Amino acid sequence: MATARLTGERIVGVGAMCVSNAPGDRLVAHALGSCLGVAVFDPVARVGGLLHVPLPSSVDDRDRSRGRPLEYVDTAVPALFRDCYKLGATKGRLRVAVAGGASAGDASADGFQIGKRNLIMLRKLLWKNGVLIHAHDVGGERVWRTISLDVASGRVWLKMPDREGEL
Amino acid sequence: MIDRHRTPAAAAPPLSVLVVDDSRVMRAMIIRTLRLCGLPLGTVHEAADGLAGLGILETEPITLALVDINMPKLSGLDMLARLGRPAAGPVVIVVSSDGSDARASQVLEMGHGFLHKPFAPEDLRDAVLRALGIPDDDR
Repeated sequence: MATARLTGERIVGVGAMCVSNAPGDRLVAHALGSCLGVAVFDPVARVGGLLHVPLPSSVDDRDRSRGRPLEYVDTAVPALFRDCYKLGATKGRLRVAVAGGASAGDASADGFQIGKRNLIMLRKLLWKNGVLIHAHDVGGERVWRTISLDVASGRVWLKMPDREGEL
Repeated sequence: MIDRHRTPAAAAPPLSVLVVDDSRVMRAMIIRTLRLCGLPLGTVHEAADGLAGLGILETEPITLALVDINMPKLSGLDMLARLGRPAAGPVVIVVSSDGSDARASQVLEMGHGFLHKPFAPEDLRDAVLRALGIPDDDR
């Protein structure tokens, strides 16, 4: 789990996640472009997790994806939920908030449409597993978002160049 | 804020639901989403056309109806017009691929909610909670 620790702030890098039940922790994923930041929180178990995932499908990239489950939405999201369960969370209580999934620009500049495909994969996965998204701020062009989760309160904050607020 | 775990709605009487849509897949998606919302669901009725839907509305104590517009035999709007506005009528959300402003205004003027297809499950959840007057954190 590649996270850095700084006075209660735990930075979640690309292809990493952090799960915590420590009330002093704030989990942060910076500068999400096409990447997704997926925050989950169980208000009863007081367990929160944040994932910073860059790519949609491990199936498209089998060789590279081995040993890198946190770099692909289809393998990272189940891992995030599983780690939350280990700390006492349950699926039915987990609230999901999502940010990111922007495009790199117009169609010619973003032929792979990674942001859009990330979102489609996430929605497909959550729907299949009976989970709805509670709050989201996604899409757009060349948008950079920072998402953070306060483990004590479950509040999710979104910061962008032009605005900031609770998600 | 995702610290939302109070569930007073769960103590409320169960909702008697009618889903009227000529697409079986759409009916299944709507019903699955309603179940995922955490709302207290009682009996869930389905109808594939407006005439069948009207029959259920006239005989069952429906509290929430989700109604497509373009359907065989009788359209959703004609079905609702024939039903009139009974005093204890259901909360109605019209779910249609016709998302024109004129259509949406027409539906809203009839006193119903409106949701444009295609929609994300979360859009349906939000529309249902809004129509029932349930705050998002009170599920």
